[in-house]
This record gives sequence, C-alpha cells and structure tokens, in this order.
Amino acid sequence: MANVETALKEATTTIEGALGAALVDYGSGMALGTVGGGKDLDLGIAAAGNTDVVRAKVRTMEMLGLNDEIEDILITLGSQYHLIRLMKARSSGGFFLYLALDRGRANLAMARHQLKKIESELEI
Amino acid sequence: MTAATATPATAVSPLLTRLAAERATGALLRDRGTLFLEHGRVVHAESPSTPGLGVLLTTGGGLAPERWNEAIDQAGARRQVARFLVDSGGLAGGELEICQLAAIFDAAFFALSPGSGPSRFRRGATHWIGSVRSVPAAAVERETRRRRELLDAVWPYPRLDTAPVVPRPAAPGQTVTARQRLLLRHADGVRTPADLAWVLGRPAFHTLLDVRRLAAAGLVETPHEPAPAPVAGASLPDWMTQTQTPDVALLRRLRDALEASL
Repeated sequence: MANVETALKEATTTIEGALGAALVDYGSGMALGTVGGGKDLDLGIAAAGNTDVVRAKVRTMEMLGLNDEIEDILITLGSQYHLIRLMKARSSGGFFLYLALDRGRANLAMARHQLKKIESELEI
Repeated sequence: MTAATATPATAVSPLLTRLAAERATGALLRDRGTLFLEHGRVVHAESPSTPGLGVLLTTGGGLAPERWNEAIDQAGARRQVARFLVDSGGLAGGELEICQLAAIFDAAFFALSPGSGPSRFRRGATHWIGSVRSVPAAAVERETRRRRELLDAVWPYPRLDTAPVVPRPAAPGQTVTARQRLLLRHADGVRTPADLAWVLGRPAFHTLLDVRRLAAAGLVETPHEPAPAPVAGASLPDWMTQTQTPDVALLRRLRDALEASL
C-alpha cells in the first residue's frame, strides 16, 4: 500500500534520470500530486496539457476503430523523455501518471518497467 | 479569460483565506457546500451538487455498496470511516486517497462558486470520513479558479451547467468516444449534468466539462441565452419617454446656423 506522495517520491528517486512526476486527474486536468519539476518544468501546466494529449489519442483510436486500451504514451524530446501511464484500476480509472526524464541519463525500458510497478503499488 | 487575468488576486473566499491563516479547525458552511478544515488545511468537502466520495467509490469505482455501508456503521461514530475501509481490506490506500482528493476538489468547486451565498464557520466540527489527506486552502482556491476558467475556455455557455442535457445526432463521420457515448446514452433530455454525474459515479465538475465539450462539438444542444429583458420604461429619463412635438422653429434655426458655419 502506498500513498500518492510516497509513490511519486519513489518514482523520482528510484527511476534513473527522473526530473519530475505527477499523478493527474484526466477528467479535470488537475495534478493530484507532484514531485520534482521546478521552474524549468511546471508540472501543473504539464498535467493540464498532457490531458489534451491523452484525449486526442483516445479520439484517434476511436476514429481508427481500434478497440484497445492505451497502456502508456512516450514523447521523445531532444533532451527529455515524457512518459504518460494510464491507470487501470476501476476506481482510479481516469487518472494517469506523468514522468519527465532526462534523456541523457534515463534507461527507457527500465523507466517504463518501474513506472508500471509504481502504478500497481498505488492500486493494491 | 480576459476578465480573470485582469483580476488575478481576487480571493475565491476571503473567509477561507483567513481561516487558513489562523490554522483553524472546523466546518466552513456555504449554500452550495461545506469545506472541512483541520489546522487550516482542507481535509474534506461535500456539496449537494456533487455525488460525493461514497458514490465515486461504489458507482464509479469497484467498491461494493455493502462495504461502504458497513464502514459507516462500524466506524462512522468514531469518525474513521476512511481508515476502516483501508484496514478492512475493502480498498487500497492509494485508491482511497485519489478518490478522496478528487471529491475534495469537486465539492470545493461548487461550495466556493460565486452564487453560493454567505459563509459561516462552525469551529471544531469534523467529518465522519476522518482525515485521509489534507490540501492547502490556497491550492483549493487556485484549482477552483482554474476550473472556472477552463469551463469558459472550452465553451462559454454557463446555462449548460444547470439545464437538462439534450443530445444531438452526430454529424456524418464525427467521432464520439466511449466516454462520451456513455454520457450521451444516459442523457434523456431531463437529466442535468449533476444528475448524470450521480448516475455515472463521476465527479460533477468532470461532467460539466464533458457536457461543455459535447456542446462545443455540436453533440449536445446549447441552450439559448434568454433574450435581454426589455428595459423597463420607468428607468428611462422623462426626456426620452415623454414624446413632445418637436419645436420646428428651433430646429430650423439650428439648421440655418449649422449651414452658415459650414
């Protein structure tokens, strides 16, 4: 059992290259919790903006007739990775984890795996 | 949006700001909802306009209604319903916290809405749910303001928030997502966004936002704003309402004077 803050702290301390993490309410675009970030990366703005990213992808899948679910979304910038992981449990459906990583230091496969583990810890 | 940016520092509730500074404990009561404070931080909120934590957890989430009722029976008097739910294995601590936070910000949006009437504070009052997580009052105010601006940025028709939701047929080729379909299926032309929030077990603000987006996409009727009320005759000055025969001689003189000066 983990609470939101410890889960996000775990994400930013155990995941190599993590710059910041947020738990975001998809229905309102609000960050329910944030760790890290700072003046270079406003996680509140990132939360609201990435809600639009998720909504656009959901709509695109609907247009394509793909009857599937999004597990995660990866955005690769020149210097960063942004990872969005949609939560699946029934009562926490409609929330996603957002993780910003330093591209030079991060191990993407490892980060995805660790974020998945953090999600499951929030739901058990 | 421009009005909001012009006055960024207006407090949503001056009383809430003061109570937060005093680190007060108790219940802030307003017409459209109640905020529960502990040492100046918001620990719970409820509003008749929103489904509340119980509905979010049972209808919207995976919790059996019996577990919820059992928790209230067993731990309601001790004011530790939240802790009982987690300790009895009914719910993961993380899930409860997430839903609780969602419920606080949802109810606070309505409790702090401009038309919510005067505020009263009942010092020392606590809620039977118990404290799970607290949020700074300033964060609640900031988020409430952001939500108001978001609604107006999406589709500035506030009447949609309280009017019955009337679906419109999708245009050929228009995409409707699963989440939207579920809402539209329950919109029977009688239910308001708040009613739909209860049926779907979703926070009420989320439903308001969904309905505004649907209206912007043309999938829900936008209620016509009432025509501006005709200006009552009494409020007009006498010289406008009391028609008098124009003084023709005066008008002629005026015209001649104007022509002469041209």
